[in-house]
Amino acid sequence: MSSLHTINRSPDSNLLESCIKVVSAGDAILFIEDGVYHCTSPINLQTIIETVKVYGLREDMLSRATLAKTMDSVQAIDTARFVELCCEHDKVVSWF
Amino acid sequence: MTDKLTTARPAKSSITFISRSAPYGRNRANLCLDMALACAVFEQNVNYVFLDDGVYQLLKGQDGAAIQSKTLGNALETLALYGIESVYADQQSLKERSIDMADLLPGMQLIDNGAISKLIDSSDTVFNL
Repeated sequence: MSSLHTINRSPDSNLLESCIKVVSAGDAILFIEDGVYHCTSPINLQTIIETVKVYGLREDMLSRATLAKTMDSVQAIDTARFVELCCEHDKVVSWF
Repeated sequence: MTDKLTTARPAKSSITFISRSAPYGRNRANLCLDMALACAVFEQNVNYVFLDDGVYQLLKGQDGAAIQSKTLGNALETLALYGIESVYADQQSLKERSIDMADLLPGMQLIDNGAISKLIDSSDTVFNL
């Protein structure tokens, strides 16, 4: 049973800290909306364990001018892939 | 009669806007800008400070079209046209978010915490959004 965790607020919200406490190996974290600001700094991402895949929604990065500054450890995806991820995981956990 | 007209005109207020929210995710950034522009149109002295996540509004190269929104950065570039020339970005907020001056829209002045408290102190009204 794997989960897709979505985070839609900036690092100031501390949502990632809450999420990381309960995330399991094989889960994925997807940063959407203001969540994509996590992806511009290694400090924000360093607490995520290696067995968790990390994604960011490309359109939210483009609108906020953060795509160029996004870390290599984050895979930028489009909405079609977002839908696929929702289907690939047993459930979606929204952090907001 | 002329005297009466002159005295009836409201005095200029000094109004400081502190914008602390990132653009697009919520509409706080837009609301703050709308209020500031309205005040500027009525010839008030407007200061505009970007603090905390608010500094994300100042990143160069925004493209609201990617999420079917207006590009807030473009609007912020027109502040001077509306007579808002005191536009400040908080130095510490930029540093915490690894944002350099080169990443910012043109025309931004840097400000530190001490200067912000003086600005608040010297203002008639402060909006904090």
